[in-house]
This record gives sequence, structure tokens and C-alpha cells, in this order.
Amino acid sequence: MHDLQLTATEIQRYIQEEELPRRCKSVLASDAAEIMRYGSFVGSEVELHACLGRAMDHGRLYIDSREKSGKSVHNGRIILAETLTKSKGRFTRSWHAPHGGLWGCLVHAPTLLPRSTMLLSLALGVSACEAIRKAGIDEAHIRWINDIIVGEAKLAGFLVESHTGPRWRENFHLIGFGINVNNESFPSELEDTATSLRKILGRSLSLSDFCRDFIANLAWNIGLLYFVEARWPDWPETCVFDIHPVLASWQELTDSIGREVTFGYDVMEKPQYNAKVTGISEDGGLQLLLPDGTSTIEHSGEIRYVPKSKYF
Amino acid sequence: MSNEIDLDEIFGKYKSDPYDYIDIYAVHTGVVSFKVEKDAEVNSISGEWQHIPGTPLYEINRERNPKLIHSYVNGTVSEINHDLQGAFVEAGEKLMTIRHPLKKKEIIENILKEVLYLFPAPEKAKYFFALDIQSRIDKKGARSVAITPGDEILTMSLMKRDTPIYYKGEPGIIHSVYFKPGISVEQGTPLIGVCAPDKVPMIQKIITRVKAEWDAIH
Repeated sequence: MHDLQLTATEIQRYIQEEELPRRCKSVLASDAAEIMRYGSFVGSEVELHACLGRAMDHGRLYIDSREKSGKSVHNGRIILAETLTKSKGRFTRSWHAPHGGLWGCLVHAPTLLPRSTMLLSLALGVSACEAIRKAGIDEAHIRWINDIIVGEAKLAGFLVESHTGPRWRENFHLIGFGINVNNESFPSELEDTATSLRKILGRSLSLSDFCRDFIANLAWNIGLLYFVEARWPDWPETCVFDIHPVLASWQELTDSIGREVTFGYDVMEKPQYNAKVTGISEDGGLQLLLPDGTSTIEHSGEIRYVPKSKYF
Repeated sequence: MSNEIDLDEIFGKYKSDPYDYIDIYAVHTGVVSFKVEKDAEVNSISGEWQHIPGTPLYEINRERNPKLIHSYVNGTVSEINHDLQGAFVEAGEKLMTIRHPLKKKEIIENILKEVLYLFPAPEKAKYFFALDIQSRIDKKGARSVAITPGDEILTMSLMKRDTPIYYKGEPGIIHSVYFKPGISVEQGTPLIGVCAPDKVPMIQKIITRVKAEWDAIH
């Protein structure tokens, strides 16, 4: 390994010594410490590879091999690879994963209640956008659900897949992430729609430092899901936050609200309709106003911004 | 999955009263305010993307959070519990009944639901067939695809989270598909109807007879 030098110990040290004090500026120190404790499983084991086919497939093999050998699966294990040879996006879309990018997968035992799980994908986008802005790209935004974009060009994407272990039939989330950090060249089909931190900043970043920041943010934002959930059903009366803090952060970081968009389950292949984004619901759904004046909420699918308004 | 079905009796029932009577219940606790009267015509969800809500039926207010509940079927309000107007109700309290006129296709599906094993949606989400199942459907059609308990048959997609759905139920072939890719399915709504291969001729007989008799009287 050359670009990535990261250990679980280093991540935990960074979280305690740097991330936690930073987070204490926005919430009570006791709450911040509790939130971080909830999220501390994230990155508690790290596996580094020079090259993998697909990190999520490796996560599946890891779960299967642990279960078959009678061992428990390590919740929070992060699998990282310098390059991926069989990476892909949703559906049949290609995802280019050469040297210089941050490619990996988090193994998560889904112990959250369904209403918190609904916000998991938003927490991923928030974590990446926070890390990218900290690296100096203030114009990075989240496009619902959790694409990170600058303008229309994509910087990062996430995909959560579930996997059921073969022996105990226990279910796990495999949280896949791909962030274009120091990689600069893209295949021709992605040239107009993808960018990287290096292309925008004009300089390389320490991939290890960036990865550490991202994982620390993941620990915080996933920890928030557990922290708020522990305060239900009386939340928000017994909670320090007025609205779910992951939703609040997402709203601060998104540029989707107020935009005219094309919506589709597979928006590239089968765009369904145009609408204006009016907000986000408590469970992370996208609130849309259609040209005929009706409103709807979508919980699955994706959007692309319409450059010139057609209906609104 | 029923082995015996008295088609004469079932079809006689539908001919004499071709309606479904759908009870509408309080979705949660709260104070109810009706938005329709008895005998009112109500519309179901509509629009190309099923995005236009149905007729507002009632509003339920819990701790200053009002929620308007819309009809998901078309028909007529055949019964309404006016005593509950402005009253606090528990979740699940019956509020009204909608008489929904059945179409031929719905009657066929209703009868088939008595002989098929219905596999329900575990959550409100969008569903699509697992890649292997989809490729088998593409090659030979759904009714040639046999499934057994434990098979990964569907993927549930919700908030960019894809979860494989494993079949639980009686082994058989996929006879009916009740979902469309890209359209949300409510929790508990059937996704597929499965039947044993030896029952296919009986099912075909039902469909043929309903079509013929329904067309004859309409």
C-alpha cells in the first residue's frame, strides 16, 4: 500500500483527540461524547488492499467466511482498496476506481430501527460532504439522496446493499463508498459528469488524512442515528435537537431544495417526470411539486437537475 | 393456497353483488374530522405516476399534527360512523366503508387470490426481481419460473438501500405479478402470486370462465 496508510487505532485516536473536541462546539460535551460512543464501532477494524474486484463483494466474502468458521462478524469493519477492477454504480452503470480515489465498504450490523435506517443513506452523504468541504471545496453539495456534486459533476457516490450470512441468516448492510480524491482522468463516458477533489483544488490531498476525516464523520453521523433513536418515543422533548440532526445537516449541505428536477427510479434510462423539489420529509423522502399542482413524496429513485426550467 | 374452489358459488356472489366493501380505519390515535358524507363518490389515487392523491376522506389530528387521509379506491361511501365526528379515536377504529365497483380484471384477481399463495411486500418500497429471476422471466415468462422457499426472488429498494428479499411460502411458479418497477408498493400488498404447477390448468379455467360469463352479462 502506498497511498493509504491507516489503522483502526489511528482512526480512534483522531476521533477522540480531534473530531470529538470539534463536535463539542456545536453540542454539549456530554452529548457529543455519547454520540461518538454510539458511532465508535465505525472503523474499529480496517482492512487495506492494493487491489480488489469490488469492495462490497469482498465484504460479502468476509461475512460468509466468518459465519462458516463459526466466528462473529466485526461490526464497523472498513474494507479499503487502492483500486477496484469490477466497481460499478447502480443498475449497469460503470464506476471508474483507479489509484488516487477512496474506494471501500463499511460492514454494518443493521441494529437501527426502520425509521432510523431510512436516514442512513442521508448520513453517508452528509459525512462525505463534510469531509469534502473541510478539504476546501465549499461548493460541494448533496444531491438527493446522497450523491456529492460540484455543479453537475459527481465527486462521490454511495450504495447500500444488504447481505444475509449463509449460516446464521443474520442480515448486514454493506455500505459502499467511492470518492474521487486524487484521481484525475475519467473514461470518456464519465468525462462530463465526474470530477475529483484534485481537479477542483489543483493539488493532491493526503488520501489517508481524507479517509480518516470521512470515517470520523461517518462515526459521528451514524452515532447521531443511534443517539436520537435512544430518545424515542419522547423525542424531541427529551432531545437537544429540534429536528433530526442528520436531516438538519443534510438540509444545510444540499442544493436540491427549490430546484426543478427530473425524477426516475433509473433516471438515466427511464426518466419519469419533472417536478420542483420543495423539501425533505421527516423520513428522508423527497417532497416534490408536479406541474399539475399535485405534491408527492418519493423514497426511492434519483434526480437530475433541469438546467433551464420547463414548468416552474 | 386452497385446493378446492366452488367456482359456481363464488361467481354467483360476484354476479349478484359485483362490489368490494372496503372498511376504512383510523391510521393512528387522534381526533377525527370527516371530509365526506354518506353516499359521496370518492376517487382513488391517479395520475401517470400514481402521484395524485385520492379524495380526502378524513383528517386525524394527534398532538396538533393534522394528517389528511385520502381514499385509495374509487367508489361510494356506503357507511360512515358519524358518532366519531370530532371524537378521539384509537388506532384501528372503523370509520367508514367504501363500496367499490369491481372490474372484470379485479374479479379474476380476487378469485385467483383464493387459490394462489400471495407473497406480501415487507415494507413500503419499490421492488424489482432479482437478476437471476428477471433473466429467467425474460427468457421464458414468469409462469415458467419455479421458486422455492429461501430463493432470492426480489430486491427491495428504499432510500438507495437495496435489500434482497428471500421467498417464504409454498413452492410453485410465479403466476401473477402485482408490482411494477419504479412504482411504490404499500407494506403488506401482494407482490407476486405463486401456485403449484399442477394448478395452472385450473387457474386458466377460472380465468376463461370469468371472462366468458362476465362478457356475456355486460
